Amino acid sequence: MLRSMDRKVSLVIMALAIFYLTLSYRLPKFAFTQVDADVLPLGLGYLLLGLAVILFIQNKPETEEQKEKRTLKKEDLILLLVTLGALILYVFCLEFLGFVISTIIFLSLTMRMYGYMNWTRNVIVSLVFTLFLYFAFNYLLKIYLPQGILPF
Amino acid sequence: MSTIDSILYGFQVALTWQNIMFVFIGVLAGTVIGMLPGLGPISAIAVMIPLSYGMPASSALILMAGVYYGAIFGGSTSSVLLNAPGVASTVATSFDGYPLAKQGKAGKALAIAAIASFVGGTFATVGLMLVAPQLAKVALSFGPTEYFALMLLGLTAIASLSDGSTVKAFISATVGIMVATIGIDGQTGTQRFTFGSTKLLDGIDFLVIALGLFALAEVTTLIISRKESLFKKGSDIGSLKITKDEVKEMAAPVGRQSILGFFIGVLPGAGATIASFLAYITEKRLSKKSDTFGKGNIVGVAAPESANNAAAGGSFVPLLTLGIPGSGTTAIMLGALLVVGVQPGPMLLTDHPDVFWGVIASMYIGNIMLLILNLPLIPYFARILYIPKGMLISLILIFCFIGVYGVNFSQFDLYVLIVFGVIGYLMRILSFPAAPFILAFILGGMMEQSYRQALTISNGSLSIFIERPVSLALLLVALASLFVPLILSKITNRNNGAKAA
Repeated sequence: MLRSMDRKVSLVIMALAIFYLTLSYRLPKFAFTQVDADVLPLGLGYLLLGLAVILFIQNKPETEEQKEKRTLKKEDLILLLVTLGALILYVFCLEFLGFVISTIIFLSLTMRMYGYMNWTRNVIVSLVFTLFLYFAFNYLLKIYLPQGILPF
Repeated sequence: MSTIDSILYGFQVALTWQNIMFVFIGVLAGTVIGMLPGLGPISAIAVMIPLSYGMPASSALILMAGVYYGAIFGGSTSSVLLNAPGVASTVATSFDGYPLAKQGKAGKALAIAAIASFVGGTFATVGLMLVAPQLAKVALSFGPTEYFALMLLGLTAIASLSDGSTVKAFISATVGIMVATIGIDGQTGTQRFTFGSTKLLDGIDFLVIALGLFALAEVTTLIISRKESLFKKGSDIGSLKITKDEVKEMAAPVGRQSILGFFIGVLPGAGATIASFLAYITEKRLSKKSDTFGKGNIVGVAAPESANNAAAGGSFVPLLTLGIPGSGTTAIMLGALLVVGVQPGPMLLTDHPDVFWGVIASMYIGNIMLLILNLPLIPYFARILYIPKGMLISLILIFCFIGVYGVNFSQFDLYVLIVFGVIGYLMRILSFPAAPFILAFILGGMMEQSYRQALTISNGSLSIFIERPVSLALLLVALASLFVPLILSKITNRNNGAKAA
C-alpha cells in the first residue's frame, strides 16, 4: 500500500501538519482582538492535513517522466551530497576566514569537481571573480562582505 | 496628466544614462540566464536582486523587469537551438523551432522568434500604459475587505501554476503561507513558531526562499547534466533572412496572439506559459497547413513567442496597479520592490509616478534593445552557451550566497538558504511546483493582515466580505479563476496528448 511515492510523501506531510497544529494550539491567547494570532495557523494546519489526506487517497500513478526525475545515478548523488557539504563548510568558514579566502578556495575546488579540469585557469577565474565581487560589493554597493583574517 | 504627458515623463526617467544602463544589464543578464536550460526567470530575477540594493526604486524595477522579459526572449534561443527550453513559457516554441533548426534553418527560426517577441512585448507595453492607470483609479477605493478578496484571487492562481497535480500545488502553497507565519505577529505581537530563537523574530526573508527554492534547486539540474555540453561546436545556424511571404503569413497570427497573450497575462495565474500553449493551439487550428505544425512551421514559432512576451507585459498590470502578483515571477518582483521600500498598489501611480511610468517607458527601450541584441548578434550570442558548465555552477552558487548575506549580514540566513535549497530540490524531484510556494509566501502575510483588519472593522462578522459589492465580485472571480485555468490546462493537455499520439 505504501509503495507509491505520493503516499509516502503524504504521510510526511501529515506529520508536518500535525506538528504545526500542535505548535499552533500552544500559541498564547490575546484577549483584545477579533481574530487572534492562532486563527490562521490553525486553519492552515487543518487545510494541510486535509490536502495530505486527498493526496493519499488520490494516489495517482507516477508518469515515466516523473520517475525518471527521481532516479539519480550514484555518481550524481555523491556529487550533490558533496556539494551540500561544501556549501555548509563554506558558510561555516565565511565569517572567520573572510569572503575572499573562503570564496577562492570554494570556487577553485568546486569548479574542478564539476569537471573544469584546468587548474591554472580555474584558480585565475576564481581569483578574478572573487576580488571583483568583493570590491564591487564593498566599495560600489557598500554591502560589506565579511573581511575575516585579511587586512582589507 | 494625460497619458501622453505621463509617458513622456516616463521616458525622462528611463532615458537617464543610469537607467539606460540598467535596462541593458537587465535584458542582457535575462537573456543569458534565460538561455541556460534549467534556470528560469524567477532565478534570474532573484540572482539579480542583490545588485539593486541601494538603488532608487525606479531603477531597481527597470532592472528586474528587463531581466524578466529578457529571460523570456532568451528562453526561445535554447528552445530553438537545443530543444531544451530555458524557461517554461518557451516550451511551445520548441515544437516548431527545433525542427526548423534541424533543417538548418535555425537562423530563420531565431529571427522569427525575435521579431514576434518584439511585437508581443511592445504591444503589451502599449496595453499596460493604457489599461493600468484606469485600473489603479478603481483600486483607490479598496479597503482591507477588497484587498483580502483580491489576494484570495491571486492565490487561486495557484490552480494553474501546477504541472499535473492541483493538490500538490495547493500543498505547496499552504506550506508557503505556513512559512510566512514564522516570526512576530504584526497585530498582537505574539511570537509564532520562532522556537525562542531571536533570529527568527523577523521571519524568513523572501530572498532566502526565492534563491533556495529556485536558484539553488535549479543548479542541481545543471550539476546532474554537467557533462552534456550545451552547444555543439561548429553548428551553423544558417541565414537570418525572412522572406516577404513569410512576413505576410506571420502578420495575422502575431497580431492576434499579442492581444490574446496580453489579456491572459493580466489574469492572475494564467501567465506566459499558458498564453504560449494557447497561442500554439489556436494557430494550429486556424491554419490551413495545420499538418505542418510540429515539423517546422514558422507560425508555430511566431505565435507562442508573441503571446508569451505579451503575457509577460500583461502580468505587470495587476502587479503595478493592485500590488497583487499573479505569478511566481511577479511575486519575486513584488518582493524586490518591497526591499527597495516601495509598496506597489493603486497609490504607486500617485506616490511614485517615476517608478510606474519609468518602468513602462523602459519596456519600450528594453524591447528594442532585445531586438538588436537578438537579431544581428544572435550567432555570436549563442556562443554564451559555450561557457563551461563547471565554472557556471560554482559562480551561480556564490552569487546566491552573497545575495542572501547582503540582506541581514547573517550566517544563520545562509544556513536557512541551504535548507531551502534542499527542500526545493526534493520538491522538484517529487513534482511539487515551487511557484505556488513563493506566491503564497508573499501573499500570505498580507492576506492575513487584511483579513483581520476587515474583521476588526466588521466586529467579527464574516458577512462584510459579501456585503461589499467589489469584494463579492472579486470573490466570485476568484472562484472562476480557480476553475477556468483548470479547464484551459485540460484543453492544453488534451491537445498535447493528441500531438504525441
